[in-house]
Amino acid sequence: MSSSISVGVKEGIVLKPEQGYMEETVPPYTPFMAMEEASRCLLCYNPLCSEGCPAGTNPGDFIRAIRFKNFKGAAEIIRSNNILGGVCARVCPYEKTCEEACARSGIDHPIHIGRLQRFVTDLEKTTNFQALDPPPATKEKIAMIGSGPASLSAAATLAMKGYKVTIFEEKEKAGGVLSYGIVPSRLPQYVVDEEIEHVTDLGVEIKVNVKVGRDVTLDALKEQGFKAFFIGAGMQVSAVFDVPGSDLDGVTTALDYLASARSGNGKADIGRHVVVIGGGDVALDCATTARLLDAEKVTVLYRRTREEAPANRLELTHCESLGINFLYTFSPQEFVGEKGKLIAVKAVGTRDNSLLQIEADKVIFAIGQKPEDITKVAAGIGLDKRGFVVTGDKGKTSIPGIFVAGDVASGSTKTVVHSVQGGKIAAESIDEYLTKGGKQ
Amino acid sequence: MAKHADLSIDFLGFKCENPFFLSSSPVSSSYDMCSRFLEAGGGGVFYKTLTTTIPEECSPRFDAQRKEATPFISFKNMEQTSDKPYQDNLDMMKKLKEDYPNKLIIGSIMGMDEDDWEQMAKDVTATGVDMIELNFSCPQMTYEGMGSDVGANLDLIDTYVKAARRGSNLPLIAKMTPNIEKMEPPAEAAIKAGAQAISTVNTIKAITGLDFDKYTSLPVVNGKSSISGLSGKAAKPIALRFITNLAQDMNLQGIPLSGIGGIETWEDAAEFLMVGASNVQFTTSIMQYGYRIVEDMISGLSIYLAEKGFDKLEDFVGIALKNIIPADDLERDFKVLPQIDYDKCVGCARCYVSCMDGAHQAIEWDNEKRKPTIMEDTCVGCQLCLQVCPVYDCITPGKVLFKEADQFGKGSLSEWKEDASNKRDIAVGTYEWIR
Ligand SMILES: Cc1cc2nc3c(=O)[nH]c(=O)nc-3n(C[C@H](O)[C@H](O)[C@H](O)COP(=O)(O)OP(=O)(O)OC[C@H]3O[C@@H](n4cnc5c(N)ncnc54)[C@H](O)[C@@H]3O)c2cc1C
Ligand SMILES: Cc1cc2nc3c(=O)[nH]c(=O)nc-3n(C[C@H](O)[C@H](O)[C@H](O)COP(=O)(O)O)c2cc1C
Ligand code: SF4
Ligand code: SF4
Ligand code: SF4
Repeated sequence: MSSSISVGVKEGIVLKPEQGYMEETVPPYTPFMAMEEASRCLLCYNPLCSEGCPAGTNPGDFIRAIRFKNFKGAAEIIRSNNILGGVCARVCPYEKTCEEACARSGIDHPIHIGRLQRFVTDLEKTTNFQALDPPPATKEKIAMIGSGPASLSAAATLAMKGYKVTIFEEKEKAGGVLSYGIVPSRLPQYVVDEEIEHVTDLGVEIKVNVKVGRDVTLDALKEQGFKAFFIGAGMQVSAVFDVPGSDLDGVTTALDYLASARSGNGKADIGRHVVVIGGGDVALDCATTARLLDAEKVTVLYRRTREEAPANRLELTHCESLGINFLYTFSPQEFVGEKGKLIAVKAVGTRDNSLLQIEADKVIFAIGQKPEDITKVAAGIGLDKRGFVVTGDKGKTSIPGIFVAGDVASGSTKTVVHSVQGGKIAAESIDEYLTKGGKQ
Repeated sequence: MAKHADLSIDFLGFKCENPFFLSSSPVSSSYDMCSRFLEAGGGGVFYKTLTTTIPEECSPRFDAQRKEATPFISFKNMEQTSDKPYQDNLDMMKKLKEDYPNKLIIGSIMGMDEDDWEQMAKDVTATGVDMIELNFSCPQMTYEGMGSDVGANLDLIDTYVKAARRGSNLPLIAKMTPNIEKMEPPAEAAIKAGAQAISTVNTIKAITGLDFDKYTSLPVVNGKSSISGLSGKAAKPIALRFITNLAQDMNLQGIPLSGIGGIETWEDAAEFLMVGASNVQFTTSIMQYGYRIVEDMISGLSIYLAEKGFDKLEDFVGIALKNIIPADDLERDFKVLPQIDYDKCVGCARCYVSCMDGAHQAIEWDNEKRKPTIMEDTCVGCQLCLQVCPVYDCITPGKVLFKEADQFGKGSLSEWKEDASNKRDIAVGTYEWIR
């Protein structure tokens, strides 16, 4: 719980002063509020919002279901199209997907599709509603490498077709970035756990603490009877660049920083004066984490301008409202240390010769991620020059019987909803492959 | 997919896929329109009412009543019967039945005199449709002795049902008018004369609003307007009471009822089923939102019934009838105090204002703390406050207090006691919303 934050604004909502790291920032809709919002929906014909959702969650239909008091039918629409509907409701970049397309913008502002989706998926739990009824698992065994959104989505799609699906996850908890990356104030762990339960309820088995390629090989899995494989390994390596002083105590990467905060339920070495390097969503999550966990001063350094920053606008404004400082067109030049510990960051202007020095005991690289060496999982698999798995039509890789989607796939859009979409498509491809008796 | 109950149900010997039908109106006025509804999942259609001559219509002909920003609280129309040539309609009905043998297709007719009723019944029967609805209830016909005039006249009902019966051996459904105090006598007359089922309501004579410059009701047709038929959500409570009356009428036991009036959602439809309709029809909601809304009716009702464990829809029909009793038979020995959840209360004082000005001055208002407090002694338990509170689940029914019996066994007004062993079954519309 933070005491230093007196104000913060998100989606036009002024946050409670006690808003903390573990608590979801945006409050849930009550049924009255949901109906009020659904009543703003124009109930468009062939609605653009539905076209705007990469995963085919079909907001046009589920908002209409809400409007006509068919709340559970709405849950069925969401869950049968997007097994991570409750996650997407919280972390989707709506401004670039469904809400961007919303026709209501022509009158005032888009329907809050994400919050409506959250209302409906929350209701599944409060009413004990089972939206999906899987068939018995009578078909082939399929292995998923990694338990992030891509694998979870592919696994659910395959389970609904009657396949026996096992997910292998090297970490202690399933969920990938959902459990180890995104800030709980946007995506609480209980939501992730419940969404994963929706997948295991379909009969999908999850084996944690197993790294494929290290603890078990693909060949061994083939011997155990697995007939097809899906790689949803994501990007596990944080990118860094050479800055003098990078070996100082206090210099860290986004993935490590976020994971330690999340796994420690907020109890971690957060830093007092924190500098984040980067201008994307990951950088904002690091900054929010630091701020909500009571770092005194948080500064984000980004080499381009605010307009050019790829970060979600809503999150960016939210961060600003939390009192996080943003310094645009600056890049780190040197990390200054004392007795092996970081004490300051020197930065230089990228578009002029400005110089500045910021006191800091923590600096975080949040400038991108890349995959681990996937040939250790599947020897000989085609990779592009940055290490992403070369992805053909419908999630096919260079090796028949091995499929891919999500962040690790070449050319994919690196978001949860695109990973869900990729997983669904790859699952169809796997079904086709196995139905044809293992021919591609 | 979740578990969904089977929604099929019998109507006069026809096994309907589900109980959702278009009522006779513009929404069911051509082959193409009906087929689009049937493709969207509808169980059947009551085709737009035929007359042998095409009526002359006015323009404009509709008005919608708004409340605050909500459109279509109710809807008024000045339309009469089909605007298509008689033979074209017959051809389209024939094709509908041929192309949709498993959907219930019903022709609707309105004659000018006995011969006309008989001939139309004959012609519609020849198209192969499953049943005929007799329109005794359109309130804006411009010819004497047609429309709702018939539905209020027992002799005309008798004559015209018999005429239609001479022209057809198909099941006949008499569509009754609500512009009448008691519907049981005309309904009984229709059945006695040879009809097999009753459908109701048709539209209610009304004025939705007036024009402030032209000084007439809406819509304004060249400076003038007329009283005409009201439909939509506001008609539902009236329709539900008529269906309940008919279902509870001893002389109509076993007569199937088709419920109409203000149905938009599966909940609206379920309400008609609970008071004894074995299927429902709708128009205004379709005019406002299109055929697609039947998808949510099917989905919502089938999920609800599956969760409640109903094996067949028949078991649900009329389930509320035994619990709707005369007002003088209700228990009046207790009061339910409202209970405020102060964590949810936003301090608007709407409950206070309503109790002060519309109830019993039983809420104390602390303006400093912006906090309402219910005074148990003065509160009569009317639950007006619950109904006006804008916060979901903030005011709910709370403690139940019982009247102390005096020596005559009657409750005295001043003494109220709790009695933990005595349970009372209470619900008020707005606080339980999720099903
Ligand atoms: C901090 C952060 C914030 C983000 N915020 C958002 C957001 O708000 N909205 C949004 O849409 N997207 C966001 N993203 C992006 C999004 O999280 C990813 O696009 C998405 O998680 C990718 O899913 P995935 O299944 O491909 O991989 P991941 O989620 O990375 O999951 C991969 C999993 O595979 C496991 N794994 C890897 N190799 C092996 C192996 N050999 N054996 C076993 N297990 C293995 C890993 O441990 C990991 O659990 C964010 C990303 C980060 C890092
Ligand atoms: C524009 C309009 C035209 C109608 N025409 C007919 C008709 O031709 N025959 C008929 O039996 N009822 C007619 N009705 C009445 C409807 O079938 C229905 O009984 C009534 O509108 C109540 O249902 P609702 O609230 O669902 O609209 C008409 C209603 C409207 C709004
Ligand atoms: S585009 Fe917007 S207004 Fe139209 S149906 Fe979708 S949410 Fe509603
Ligand atoms: S109406 Fe409801 S929210 Fe307003 S003061 Fe009363 S209890 Fe509180
Ligand atoms: S129940 Fe009626 S009388 Fe009692 S407090 Fe509420 S409004 Fe007043």
